[in-house]
Amino acid sequence: MRPDERKGVVAARRDQFPVGMRVLAVDDDPVCLKVLETLLLRCQYHVSTTNQAAIALKMLRENRDMFDLVISDVHMPDMDGFKLLELVGLEMDLPVIMLSVNGETKTVMKGITHGACDYLLKPVRIEELRNIWQHVVRRKFSTRDRANLDIYEECNKPSNADSDHAHGHVTCGSPDQSGRPSKKRKEYYSEEEDEGEEDNTQETDDPSAPKKPRVVWSVELHRKFVAAVNQLGIDKAVPKRILELMNVEKLTRENVASHLQKYRLYLKRLSAVASQQVSIVAALGGRDPFLHMGAFEGLQGYQAFTSSTSLSSFTPHGLINSPRNNPAAFGTQRVSASKSIQTVTGGHALNHSICDANKYHLSSPGNQQGNLGQGMATSLGQTQMQPKWIQEETDDLSTIFSGNGLANSGMSATLQGVTSSPLLPQELVECTQVKVGSQPSVLTPSVSSGHLEGTVGVSSSLLDPRVSQQTTIPLSEFSASGLPIHGLFNNSCATKLGATSSASTPVHPSDDLLVARDTKAGASSFGSTMLLPPDTEQKYLNFGGGNSFKHKFDERTADSLFDLKFVWSSGLSSQSASNIGAHHSISQRWNNSSSNNSNIGARMIGQPSSSASTVAPHAKSDFLISGDMLVPKNASDLSVPKLQSELSSSSCSFDGLLNSIIKVVRSYHPLVSLPQHPSL
Amino acid sequence: MKKSLFDQGYLDEQFCQVEDLQDEASPNFVEEVVTLFFKDSGRLMSNIEQALEKYPRDFNRWDAYMQQLKGSCCSIGASRMKNECMSFRDSCGQGNVEGCMRSFQKVKREHAVLRQKLESYFQLLRQAGPAGAATRPIM
Repeated sequence: MRPDERKGVVAARRDQFPVGMRVLAVDDDPVCLKVLETLLLRCQYHVSTTNQAAIALKMLRENRDMFDLVISDVHMPDMDGFKLLELVGLEMDLPVIMLSVNGETKTVMKGITHGACDYLLKPVRIEELRNIWQHVVRRKFSTRDRANLDIYEECNKPSNADSDHAHGHVTCGSPDQSGRPSKKRKEYYSEEEDEGEEDNTQETDDPSAPKKPRVVWSVELHRKFVAAVNQLGIDKAVPKRILELMNVEKLTRENVASHLQKYRLYLKRLSAVASQQVSIVAALGGRDPFLHMGAFEGLQGYQAFTSSTSLSSFTPHGLINSPRNNPAAFGTQRVSASKSIQTVTGGHALNHSICDANKYHLSSPGNQQGNLGQGMATSLGQTQMQPKWIQEETDDLSTIFSGNGLANSGMSATLQGVTSSPLLPQELVECTQVKVGSQPSVLTPSVSSGHLEGTVGVSSSLLDPRVSQQTTIPLSEFSASGLPIHGLFNNSCATKLGATSSASTPVHPSDDLLVARDTKAGASSFGSTMLLPPDTEQKYLNFGGGNSFKHKFDERTADSLFDLKFVWSSGLSSQSASNIGAHHSISQRWNNSSSNNSNIGARMIGQPSSSASTVAPHAKSDFLISGDMLVPKNASDLSVPKLQSELSSSSCSFDGLLNSIIKVVRSYHPLVSLPQHPSL
Repeated sequence: MKKSLFDQGYLDEQFCQVEDLQDEASPNFVEEVVTLFFKDSGRLMSNIEQALEKYPRDFNRWDAYMQQLKGSCCSIGASRMKNECMSFRDSCGQGNVEGCMRSFQKVKREHAVLRQKLESYFQLLRQAGPAGAATRPIM
């Protein structure tokens, strides 16, 4: 029967599920295969057979939708049945039943651990085969359920059928969840984290399912990923589509799914960090302690970051955190962050770690602190943001966060964790920590809350308080570093704070979060958006991508700071919504931009979480600062906004955020060579 | 005759299942499967024989081959042969070369016997005529 004919027939039969269920039987034993085929046909399934695993894989890969279930023998000459099982589970996410004459417990156990949904003994009886359809149904249900359990509920309504089954899709963008109990998130995060990490070789903690082939998420690959995500929009970014867009050979949907999950976590973290950073920056009072924060998570010296992309990731984090506090703070933070990044030239490793750290931090409140610290460190280092400015932010944020006060401290605390710098980060870390616990409340008003929502359920809360602090810190940081931003921030921050959207340059209201939100956030800490791409286009403030931000922004009117954060996550769309231009652009920009832009901005942007929104408003001012950093010109104003816009545009692209951040930082510190966007 | 095959343990319940699968759509299903079985098992057994010679004491290899053969036997219900396969595997597990050799001989013998018996069986079925072949023999 020709394929199309067959499909027609099959389709017709499938309507009467389980009749017509499409099974692929793989067994090297022709006798067994024949008997099996006949048995299955007797059950009224549609059967395809092959005696080679390689052919089976080929068939499955050619058209994933052609089969509902796979039955495979364990012992096959060309490929181990377990390996086939893993591959099918990974790539196609189909239920696989193992078949063997060997019924030893350990073999059965092996099958289960490799992901088999059932294990049958030969000779197979028809009664057993009559019920195998349950596995197909069960898997469908559990996928849906998992989607619903999406931890980032706030971000999105998971309902993507194709989203990773493993991780409830987290579309970080919906701000609904701000009040989600962090605890739940935390659990889920760790769970998701584990699952998601499986195929990232760079992930340090990767307890995920066993034996999944490791995919190395190189910078390049991650860039593509981020670009794809941005293109789709963080809310709509499902692994399948991302995979298609990326068009990378040998990359499986599963890899993408897992990576996406991590990325989302990262974004969340960024927003959390951003807010924190802001506060930290403020707290730090203008030094580059954040730079020192390079030691995020144990990273040694930011120096590494400077060039490494990882920094970029961090910066966003930090910025994001700060945004809460001060949009401006973010900017400064960013700047410092970039600086840090520069100093840290840790290279990818750092970035990754930081990013990862941030990412993870975001995901888990506890971690947040670490992340925030890190992120903040970078940003803070740079942002000598004036404490005062930050204060403003913080105030805003704190109110928003309600509980944020803690967050701020938490944030700094986290920062502390990260760096030894006495700067605010500590405060922020602390705040964050504190916040984490109490987060839900906090998030609300402050920008950070917005940010956090998106990125990190838990972190968000933390961010809030932190953000405020952070923002200050970053600001201060910047000043210390001599970044003009510092001044800018203050000014800009003020303005930003007031009018989140206005501040940022024409931030094109990226659909994503920020734009929308920013308006609300007013002076949203769009500072985080700082990372606007090196283009001094202030327009960057469009955090386009920051879908999530947008959401957040709305929520947080005051979360300008968060805007930054969000921007980062979502591409800094946070710019007071208005600016949220194209996150993507930012992120992309960042990606493209040379190391300067390395993904700091992107990272931040990456976090579509609400932070973006908050960030937007502030972002502008902040960006100026940061933007300048990135861009050697001193249009700090420009840079900041740009960052923001950039951030926003790259809603989902961390890269963008990072880049922008880096840019900003760079502009201020020509010496600082922003790290490349670390691959997640 | 079929009954005797069952009584003597040459075939088991699985064979009945296979026969059940035979219907108008596939009227010679059983014979096809059995033919396939003997063809494939012949190949597998020569593999094992070779392995026994070429790879002395390579129990893992022997075991792997024998596992395949055992799988085939199971699928059609060749129970005596299956039992011999199992004892071969046991010997492999024990590292008992002698035991393996002996078991393998038994496997070969069972294989030959079964082939003979089933051939007779099918002949009888054919002689019974199309009507006889279509219906399940009650022997």
